[in-house]
Amino acid sequence: MKRIHSWWTRLRGLFRKEQLDRELDAEMASHLEMHIADNLRAGMTQEAARRDALLKLGGVEQTKESVRDRRGILFLETLLQDFRYALRSLVKNRGLSFVAIFALALGIGATTVMFSAVYNVFFDPLPYKNFSRYVVFRIQNLANVGGWKGRDFFSLEEVRAFREQNHVFEDVVVHNGYRLLYDNGKYIHHWPRGEEVTTNTFEFLGVPPLLGRTFSEEDSRPAAPPVFIMNYRLWQSEFAGDPKILNTVFILDGKPRTLVGIMPQRFNFFGASFWLPMSDSNATGSVVGRLKPGVSFATAGADLNAIAHQLQKENPQGIFPDKFSIVPETLLDSFIGGFRKTLYALLAAVLLLLLIACSNVANLLLLRATVREREIVMRATLGASRLRLIRQLLAESFVLAAVASVAGCVLAYFALKGVVALIPEGTLPEEVLIRMNVPVLFAALGLTLLTTVLSGLAPALHIMSGDLQSRLTSSGKNIEGNVRHGKLRSSLVIGEVALSIVLLISAGLLMRSFFILTHADFGFDPQNVLYFRLALPKAYNTNIDVTREKKNALTRQVLARMQGLPGVTTVSESMLEPPLRYDWSDTIIPGKPHTERWETRFEVCSEGYFQILGLPLLHGRLFSEDDVNANRHVMVVNERFSRQYFPNEEPIGHKVKLEVLDRPFLDAPHDTYFEIVGIVPDYKTLGDDGRSWRAFPQTFIPYSVQGFSHRTYMARTFADPKVLLKNIQQEVRAIDPSVEIETSGTLTASLHEFYRRPQFELFTLGSFAFIGLVLVVVGIFGVMAYTVSRQTHEIGIRVALGAQRRDILSMVFVKSLGIIAAGVAIGLLASYESSRFLASEVSGVSISDPSTYGVVSFIVVAVGLLACYLPARRATRVDPMIALRYE
Amino acid sequence: MGDKKDVWQGTLALMVLKTLEALGPLHGYGIARRIEQTRGDLLSVNYGTLYPALLKLEQEGYIASEWGVSDNNRKAKYYKLTRAGGKQLEREARDWQQTTAILARFLASKERA
Repeated sequence: MKRIHSWWTRLRGLFRKEQLDRELDAEMASHLEMHIADNLRAGMTQEAARRDALLKLGGVEQTKESVRDRRGILFLETLLQDFRYALRSLVKNRGLSFVAIFALALGIGATTVMFSAVYNVFFDPLPYKNFSRYVVFRIQNLANVGGWKGRDFFSLEEVRAFREQNHVFEDVVVHNGYRLLYDNGKYIHHWPRGEEVTTNTFEFLGVPPLLGRTFSEEDSRPAAPPVFIMNYRLWQSEFAGDPKILNTVFILDGKPRTLVGIMPQRFNFFGASFWLPMSDSNATGSVVGRLKPGVSFATAGADLNAIAHQLQKENPQGIFPDKFSIVPETLLDSFIGGFRKTLYALLAAVLLLLLIACSNVANLLLLRATVREREIVMRATLGASRLRLIRQLLAESFVLAAVASVAGCVLAYFALKGVVALIPEGTLPEEVLIRMNVPVLFAALGLTLLTTVLSGLAPALHIMSGDLQSRLTSSGKNIEGNVRHGKLRSSLVIGEVALSIVLLISAGLLMRSFFILTHADFGFDPQNVLYFRLALPKAYNTNIDVTREKKNALTRQVLARMQGLPGVTTVSESMLEPPLRYDWSDTIIPGKPHTERWETRFEVCSEGYFQILGLPLLHGRLFSEDDVNANRHVMVVNERFSRQYFPNEEPIGHKVKLEVLDRPFLDAPHDTYFEIVGIVPDYKTLGDDGRSWRAFPQTFIPYSVQGFSHRTYMARTFADPKVLLKNIQQEVRAIDPSVEIETSGTLTASLHEFYRRPQFELFTLGSFAFIGLVLVVVGIFGVMAYTVSRQTHEIGIRVALGAQRRDILSMVFVKSLGIIAAGVAIGLLASYESSRFLASEVSGVSISDPSTYGVVSFIVVAVGLLACYLPARRATRVDPMIALRYE
Repeated sequence: MGDKKDVWQGTLALMVLKTLEALGPLHGYGIARRIEQTRGDLLSVNYGTLYPALLKLEQEGYIASEWGVSDNNRKAKYYKLTRAGGKQLEREARDWQQTTAILARFLASKERA
């Protein structure tokens, strides 16, 4: 208590300095007055009385000093002094401080942004209870032939078996996509996709509703009144967030259904916009299980595998490939997929950047410390204690780091917003919120602080060690310590150059890859092509025999009406729109058995498809409107198909089967061979890596032979696609009011959307690389400027002895070139090793692409030499007379 | 060196407290004179050393100060004992007596041996 009181008054003493000083003065004065008065009374002369009083006191100033020492907290007071001094010296070296702060802030900012992104995506992505134990799984076909690679949709018996026989899940939910039509009293339209879910889903996920209630078991009983739950986005977009709609009845698919709950914003299970209850007893669809605590992934896989194989044995009609296995995946991985690798690559890049920033600051501080060596030695000689001097230097580092930290936080705040805006929609599940992560921020700040303090401390300790006297007399030049510092600085710059080469090469590879991706020649012109898909009401999907004819009739009418619209040149119907979307099948050709899958991309389309893509006929004939209307089993193939499956043969007249059409549940001609009638040139579609365009073996068959496919319509147009779309909508309504346009867009717009992901990577990594390069320039500039200033004397002598401007320039450039070249060499080697990690992000260009390596090296050397230009020019301006006197 | 100083500061503090207890509120000069008079010339020290000691005691809450007017109508800062100071004096005095008694016995026994 006593101690606290004492510290408190002393702490206050720090801030009432002036008043206390005045009081002390007064007290001393009154002391002396009283003493002098006493002395006078004792008979002394005025002068003797005064002298005696002063002598007895032991000096006014000394007394005051000793009282003042006692007054405040000496440690704190000198600390404040240190900081004041540090600030002053940083302001004095404005340029250097600014650069150091800039570098550090960039490092902190970039690191915080990336770490926040990684943290939010991998560690706190979903708001669901124990989500890290959620597992989804699929049946994976292990054979290399056959039409399909796997499925995650399970039948009634399969769901039941997985649910009842597994030993690994605490609980299981089943969900299944659902589309419905909403009648708002004025018109009927589709809601965005929703899901049917088992009634335990909401409890499983552990998220309470925003309004109302979630499902209970009763809701799935056959006699229960129909209910549904809405997601936040639909609530906002369609009903402006009106809470009064809760517990009202909606007409969905023509039947009344009560809205019983609205989920909070951060709840978006499988992207559904609404949820309907599904009874456990007839649940079909995809399955999500929550692992019991401690159960491993492998155990779960094995357990599910056994169940699935048993199912296959018991149920030979079920849809199982001959050889398959169950592949489990965490829910998060199933959402995020390849983006994980991207984020890790970016994280690695940002760490390199932080490293560059830190070594840059270390370099600058070392530089400054060396320049100030004389000052420090002088102060030490004049009696400053070593501890005090070290504290002084540390204070400077600390102030630097603190200012940089604040700047870094501000930077991170804004950069994070930018990055979030750049991440393409659909890359991350909507539940993922990328926010500034405070622990991460502190970690980055801590790291910076450590670097700064360490690099501030190194010179401090170095200066403090050894004989001050000799330092002072040797005038701080060309002594062993400087040489050592010089080497340290050079190696720091070499390291920076190497790191920035790694960053730049990665960015360069991405850039080339991006350029190749965006400047591909597809073999058709994607400009001015509008596409849309129709959402068909249930009437089109009830009876398979009716379905196909009904759909074909609709297609014929839609095509005819589209063709009649102004601004339209050609129209077509197909399953999907190129080049991003495609379907494929194994290919069966009599007399040509194969053990590998013969992957052929196929399109079920109208005769207009060839015109709209501008594919000329090379050989034979295209199928005609007549072929389509008569459902003839004819096929057009592309050159690659012909070359790959019919080398040295005439393909026309041969029969080909698409294995995928044999699937029992598809409304398609089973076990049917199509006759090849014509050959068209190749065009490119999205490669399997999802990052390149490639020509694949491709076949085209008339859409009219089947009833299962999407109905995607395309129109080549010279009118505004938006206006055209409105007209088309009217035409479609005129044909059948219950049919509406589901998705629509232009081919170029969907390509631009597709480019956003590589663009994001390129932009992020590119910024890191650019920042790295700027920091390197600063680093090289710093070292060379310092070297030149240290060599002024030497240069002066050289000039005096007749050295030309050229000699001096080359002297400076040769030294910097040495440093840069060393960095470049190390960097190239490191890049060669590290760019392997980029392999999945890069396509169309080799990861050891010599031209990228060459260009980057050239840029770094050029920029580096440019950074030496100013110091070099200063060297040539050295006046020998001044230089020689400047000792 | 530090130790000796501490001992001196400790005794000085005790003397200040005792003086204030005996004479009531007093200014720094008065305290200095009083201490000098009572201890004679045994320890001749600068008056100046008194002031840091006074500040320390004040910080610790054993004495309090306020500005007043001296007998000769001069403005002076008066120190007085606080309640905590009174207790502290008692404690310190007891400790001091114990210490001196122990030391005296110890030294005496050593002489005999």
